Amino acid sequence: MITVRHLNKYYIGEDGKKVDVLRDVSCEISRGEIISIIGPSGSGKSTFLHILNMLDTPNSGEIIVNGKNIQDKGYDLNKMREKMGMVFQNFNLFEHLTVLQNVTLAPIKLRGLGEKQAEDEAMEMLRKVGMADRSGSMPSQLSGGQKQRVAIARCLAMKPDVILFDEPTSALDPTMIGEVQGVIRSLAMEKMTMLIVTHEMKFARDVSTRVFFMNEGVIYEDGTPEQIFQNPKRAATRAFVHRIRSLVFDIVSRDFDFYDMTTQIKQFCIRYSIPEKMNDITHIVEEMLILLSKYDSPVLIEVNHSEMDYTSSVSILHRGESVSPLERPDADELSVMIIRGMSSDIKTEQTDEGVRLTFRI
Amino acid sequence: MRTTINELNGELVAAFEGRLDTAAAIQTEKDVQPLADCAGKNIVLDCSALEYISSSGLRIFLNVLKNAKAKGSRVFITGMSDDINKVFKITGFMNLFEFR
Repeated sequence: MITVRHLNKYYIGEDGKKVDVLRDVSCEISRGEIISIIGPSGSGKSTFLHILNMLDTPNSGEIIVNGKNIQDKGYDLNKMREKMGMVFQNFNLFEHLTVLQNVTLAPIKLRGLGEKQAEDEAMEMLRKVGMADRSGSMPSQLSGGQKQRVAIARCLAMKPDVILFDEPTSALDPTMIGEVQGVIRSLAMEKMTMLIVTHEMKFARDVSTRVFFMNEGVIYEDGTPEQIFQNPKRAATRAFVHRIRSLVFDIVSRDFDFYDMTTQIKQFCIRYSIPEKMNDITHIVEEMLILLSKYDSPVLIEVNHSEMDYTSSVSILHRGESVSPLERPDADELSVMIIRGMSSDIKTEQTDEGVRLTFRI
Repeated sequence: MRTTINELNGELVAAFEGRLDTAAAIQTEKDVQPLADCAGKNIVLDCSALEYISSSGLRIFLNVLKNAKAKGSRVFITGMSDDINKVFKITGFMNLFEFR
């Protein structure tokens, strides 16, 4: 249905440097697929959607819709847009028109429907999104959730083959998110082809047949919701879906600022509401540093906390070493006891950079 | 980290306040020096304001204990928080000291 090949988009920043927004993005989207596009802010999600609808132009690459390159000269973009509807974050309703007029406008102007047929169809779409009883209202009389449902009805009135949703619930109060998601869920039951840029992870997991995790301008991981959310293959996907917050210390000298480090651990624990883990984390970091102080090799410490499942860990990479400092015969016994006592699980792995110990807190 | 030592009812009471970690250990070791002169007096290590103790801090406590025992004194610990208690448990220090 839609084939994207080697799509690139960049702009030149104020400092004259090239900033990549999309880098060599390729994918195949088939009829009936419901694809959620997730990823950090600035990862290119919305730009990708806008380019599919040619609301933004790529610097290079191809977009083939139903066998035709939409950038070819003479290609009827408006015709394509009739079949590729778009729902925006901020609804974009015509404020001077009633709900019904908002929904009938495009079918009358673009599909050439008579007023009566357009109204009948519009009422059907408004019923579908639960807004039929507000057909005579002005947009200003509606809540954000209601406006978005009207925007979806307006999109459906064009009988699209695919709908692109650009963060459809981001501008809504939390109380109104459910009603809009409910409408999208019912479209999913009808097998409407959809691409949904969203920050709502649970919704993405429930509604999608496929998930794109976008990161730094590329589709970094593409998989089923089960793969992306339960068993992501790549580290950045894992960090994103588990909402992992990190604190990193790269210690290259024995003269590092120990006070500053403990203060940062304290602030980190307070910021992410885990003050009860502060001492355990500090104990592990401090005792490990005592054990490692005998060696000159640099140490990389990462404190991680998942806001999704509330798990925390400390990961310590002893660069250039291959033996766990806990296993060395001359390891300080008191330090080892404290470290083992503070962690519920200790994993040791050999990496190209050195030995890495991960302590679950 | 602050350490104050007072004599109370014939006992030497050392009160610790703050975090007894690697960075604080050097100063604390100096601060507890007066306890070395404990002949005939028992020692109380008051931990009610102690927020944290690392292995460096435990070693200071252990040295106080060794020295006191050699001089026939007893060492009591009082006011341990849950965290300090946890550290004492996992290191076996619970079995070394007497508690009040």
